Amino acid sequence: MKITIDNDLAKFIIRLADTEMILGQRLCEMCSNGPFLEEDIALSNSALDLIGRAEELYKIVAEIENKGISPDDYVYRRNEREYFCLKLVEQPNTDFAWTIARSYLHDVYANEVFTQLQNSKNENLAALSKKVLIEIMYNLDRTRDWMVRLGQGTEESNSRLQEAVNHMFRYIPEMWNWDDIDQKYLADTDKVKANWETEVNGILKASNIEKPSDDPFFMGDYRDGIHSEYLGHILTDLQYLPRAYPDAKW
Amino acid sequence: MKSGDKVWEVFIQKKPGLPFKHAGSVHAYDKKMAIQNARDTYTRRGEGRALWVVPAEAIVSVPLDQADAFFNPSEDKIYRHPTFYEIPDGVENL
Repeated sequence: MKITIDNDLAKFIIRLADTEMILGQRLCEMCSNGPFLEEDIALSNSALDLIGRAEELYKIVAEIENKGISPDDYVYRRNEREYFCLKLVEQPNTDFAWTIARSYLHDVYANEVFTQLQNSKNENLAALSKKVLIEIMYNLDRTRDWMVRLGQGTEESNSRLQEAVNHMFRYIPEMWNWDDIDQKYLADTDKVKANWETEVNGILKASNIEKPSDDPFFMGDYRDGIHSEYLGHILTDLQYLPRAYPDAKW
Repeated sequence: MKSGDKVWEVFIQKKPGLPFKHAGSVHAYDKKMAIQNARDTYTRRGEGRALWVVPAEAIVSVPLDQADAFFNPSEDKIYRHPTFYEIPDGVENL
């Protein structure tokens, strides 16, 4: 089955759905690998929030597209080049600081995007955005606190966070390469970027982390299905069972 | 967890007006982390609408080896239970 997406709004929403899904999958990897029990459970809670959010977004995509393709089909039956998540959320859990920096930078972005989408003309999307903002508010509060804790913690935690932020920042510029579809469904893309920068700059400063320089280097855009080397491996894990046993039910 | 953390006792209130009940404990480095960890560990299934966390060290308890001195004297004083009174016929709702 080759899954294509034709409607512009569906194309826009699946970018968000894929971003939330892949970050959810990355955080699932932390289940049983958290630095201590309470944080382990917190990360898993966060993962479930993200996957639940993704599922609701895929449902809206499925409804708009109206081709009999289910949310499970979108997740389990598309290849790398057919995925449209931010490269930021594909980055690995190399270190707890990576897990936190990745989630924090995403949470600020998600907060801005879903805030604007509360006024979407699509009623389902508007209603969902209102609901998920409550979750995002909590998750953002948590990841923001961790940024400051790690940044202000010890020399070791600060340098690990600095390394994580340096890595993640390479995948930020593509967020701002808004295309016509983004412009059509987000009320004010400039505001998303401006608010993101204000928040993130403030927290980097409070965390004693140096803002990495804007070093643009060439890479394809996630909107075209171009990804970092990690997405293929994530999908191998994520899709193994339904691909090996296409009739499996759960 | 390593040095710097503390144990906090967690209390959950199911609904406004009901007593807070002890749910368990969490580790955390500060108040905010404690309340977040309590939320994530103990309220995942709709257990409540309000939370307290209290540093375990702030709780004063009866030393184990003094339990007899504290509690034995109450064991043979059944007259402290309000069951030795005849209730007059006219009293309702008691």
